[in-house]
Amino acid sequence: MTEILSARSLTVRYGGNTAVHDVDLGIGAGRMVAVAGANGAGKSTLVNALAGWSRGYPVVSGDVLLDGQNISRLPPHQRSRGGLQHVPEGKNVFSELTVEENLALVRLGEDHAGRFLFSRSEVIDLFPRLHERRHHKGSALSGGERQMLAMARALLAGPRILLLDEPSVGLAPRLIGEVLAVVRSLVDRGLPVLVVDQNVRAVLEFADELYLLERGRIVGHGSAASMKNDDRILKAYLGDLAVKGDLQ
Amino acid sequence: MIHYTNSVEVSSGDGSIGRSARYRKSASLLLMVIGCIIVYLLPAWLGGSTVVYGLFVTIAILSVMALGVDVVLSYLGEVSLGHTIFWAIGGYAAAIPSTTWDVNGWTTAAAAIALSVLAATMLGLATLRTREFVFSLATYAAAVVVAEITFNTDALGGSDGIVGIPPLHLPFGIADFTGRSSADLWPIAFALLLLSLGFVARFRRSRLGMQALMVQMNAPLATSSGLDAHRVRFLVFVVSAPITALAGWLYAYQRAYVGPDMFDMYFLTMMLTSIILVGTRILLASTIGVTLLLIQQNYLSIGGDGNKVVLGTVLVLMLVLWPKGLVRLIVDAIKPAVRRRQTVELNDGEVSLRKESARSR
Amino acid sequence: MNVAQQAINGLVIGSGYACVALGWTILLGAARLVNFAHGQMYMLAAFICWFILTRSGIGYPLAAAISIVAMALLGVGMQLMMGRLVMTQNLTSLMIVTLGFGYILQGVAGLLFGGAPHTITTELVQQKIQFGDVWFTSQELLIFVVTLILYGVVWLVLQRTRQGAIIRSVAEDPKLAQLFGIDSRSVYIAIFVLEAVLVALAAVLVAPRTPILTSMGFEEVIITFVIVVLGGIGNVGGALIVGMLLGLFTSFFGALVTPAYTTAAIFAVLLAFLIAKPEGLRTR
Ligand SMILES: Nc1ncnc2c1ncn2[C@@H]1O[C@H](COP(=O)(O)OP(=O)(O)OP(=O)(O)O)[C@@H](O)[C@H]1O
Ligand SMILES: [Mg+2]
Repeated sequence: MTEILSARSLTVRYGGNTAVHDVDLGIGAGRMVAVAGANGAGKSTLVNALAGWSRGYPVVSGDVLLDGQNISRLPPHQRSRGGLQHVPEGKNVFSELTVEENLALVRLGEDHAGRFLFSRSEVIDLFPRLHERRHHKGSALSGGERQMLAMARALLAGPRILLLDEPSVGLAPRLIGEVLAVVRSLVDRGLPVLVVDQNVRAVLEFADELYLLERGRIVGHGSAASMKNDDRILKAYLGDLAVKGDLQ
Repeated sequence: MIHYTNSVEVSSGDGSIGRSARYRKSASLLLMVIGCIIVYLLPAWLGGSTVVYGLFVTIAILSVMALGVDVVLSYLGEVSLGHTIFWAIGGYAAAIPSTTWDVNGWTTAAAAIALSVLAATMLGLATLRTREFVFSLATYAAAVVVAEITFNTDALGGSDGIVGIPPLHLPFGIADFTGRSSADLWPIAFALLLLSLGFVARFRRSRLGMQALMVQMNAPLATSSGLDAHRVRFLVFVVSAPITALAGWLYAYQRAYVGPDMFDMYFLTMMLTSIILVGTRILLASTIGVTLLLIQQNYLSIGGDGNKVVLGTVLVLMLVLWPKGLVRLIVDAIKPAVRRRQTVELNDGEVSLRKESARSR
Repeated sequence: MNVAQQAINGLVIGSGYACVALGWTILLGAARLVNFAHGQMYMLAAFICWFILTRSGIGYPLAAAISIVAMALLGVGMQLMMGRLVMTQNLTSLMIVTLGFGYILQGVAGLLFGGAPHTITTELVQQKIQFGDVWFTSQELLIFVVTLILYGVVWLVLQRTRQGAIIRSVAEDPKLAQLFGIDSRSVYIAIFVLEAVLVALAAVLVAPRTPILTSMGFEEVIITFVIVVLGGIGNVGGALIVGMLLGLFTSFFGALVTPAYTTAAIFAVLLAFLIAKPEGLRTR
């Protein structure tokens, strides 16, 4: 299986605190890969490091490969232009810009090889709400609408791969399934997706495989079907007594 | 002996450790006294010429001037660009009463303190809620405007300033001090420097000093734990003003003249550069910084405009290359790997340094 | 007092103020950058223009253009040096750095051009346009017209173009902009170059009205500051209006009270505003 995006011995430190420890992972073509773990396990730090991005000042070592090319030295805007589309956790759209302007910021690069191109109308079909609210400022959108806008802009940029950090946060339970179903439909068209989400139960319905992260280390990896029966997952996320976002 | 009552004994039970701490304390006190005596005698040893005394007095004066700004910069984290006002107030408070009524130095010093506190109160109240660049700009604007008013007001000497300030006269009860030349003024300048440093050292340990640090580190937290951040900021600003004013006061006597040139960018740049060159929250920063800069301007001078370029370049390069100042730079150079390995996970400053140098781009 | 004439003078002064303030308004609004070297950049641009005019046969328009290009290059250089501080949004250090730059520019200008006052002579300053008992010079008309056009263009670019949206996005969140494929660092450089170009343009337009000195530049910073604060930080339309109003205020205050204290009076207005409405200063 060819891996579109992979990490080799990825380690991320904040000051003296190692948030991601020697992680190897790969996302193959047309695969939806989930990363699960408790709060503070290092999930966001991991995906941010793949995108070469952070709001803090981490020290990153190890390699990130996009289509076999080492992109570890590229700044985040160049990774984005190269098709590595990341939708971060938290604030991920511009609140001073309208929906229209948020979307217009994105430009496709010259090199279309290996990229999944979405036309404006396809994206609007996926997220019709955005069209209705196109003249509203980002600050006037609901949490769910912001998530949609953030995903829409990532699609318009012609992704090779999509990284989604907590796409379902703040969504009504019914919407979580809807958003993940949209993501799955993209994956079925061939777009590889790496998704981090607290709703492990919902994610496992849609994802192909899952990595389990604990204190910055990968402690489990397997197909979604096998991970459903993994003890740790069962205990922490799927069992009846499961506490969401269990603090180890 | 005041020192003992002041100090907090770490080990109350163990007398021997308490005694050794006390010995260390007296030893450092002794060293300080010896250091002061050496510095005091230094201009005489360096030949005792007018030029040398002039340089030493100027260093002392400008160090005290910068110390006022340092208090605001180090303990509030704000850049006051309005301290030239207090500097000039000190100068004019010395000039006008002494030329008009021939009063002695105590009176003019009291006037300098009172007027600078008054001005700082007014400026502090007006800028109470402003932060960062708005605060800096507002204080800067105030300085430019006060300069303009001074320049245009005949009662303040207008653009000519005030000439013919009499020698500094300070009656001490038993004996009187009267001085005009730099050599005469050196004891006074040195005493003023020591007093100011002592004042700031006390301020650092005072409640207000602690509170100011808390407000600077985390204003919301400080506020939620019951501190009135506005009040603390205001008080620190007011406290800093008379320090700079007294420097201006002595400067007037040294030059026997004051004028609107006290608002010159030179003094402002000098205040900031001397501190940034050495580092914030270092008691002697302004003294060391001013000394280095004045040595350049006096002995390695490349002309007025050239010196401006040097001073500005020092300021820019320090902030761009070593924003923590020379002291940190030297400390890091002297104590390399050992210290780093031991403290990397504990020492806050060290970590933030590493963060800056090792940021992934 | 000739009220109509004072009003015209006020509008001319005001458009000069607004013109000088435009670059900084964008810089502050869009990039959270303060530039204390603004006044010295104004001074340097004026001197470069004067120098070319007096030392060569080149005419005013071309001399002005060269001066603007020179300032653009200077802007690139300054921004490259400040790059890291800008990306980490270390506003306090940035402020002091620009203050240092201003001091360097003053020193350099002193070395190059000396301390004596000079005047930039253009034909437009001598051409008088008279309507009844009011008059103004062609240069003043030019200042007024160019300022209005500049504000219009800048407003359109910021609000209606993708480039404008990029600038606003970087202003709001430079880190997030990177994920949109935007190179925030280059955008900052572009904004700073724009500031340098606009202040140079303002200098070559406005400076011919009065003698120039290498020590000037402080008033420009103060007036710009007042305009930016009263107009609302980053608000281009507000800056134009406040600039014009301040011009009228200056003109009438000078005629009715005294011209010596106009800056002080303007600053009094600002202080009143700071005390009455400090929340008007929040930078988002
Ligand atoms: N900007 C930062 N500066 C310093 N430490 C950070 C920073 N961001 C995260 N960390 C630390 O890194 C570790 C991992 O954080 P991370 O945000 O990656 O966790 P997470 O798995 O995404 O958690 P959550 O489920 O809450 O989103 C935590 O211990 C956190 O404290
Ligand atoms: Mg997270």
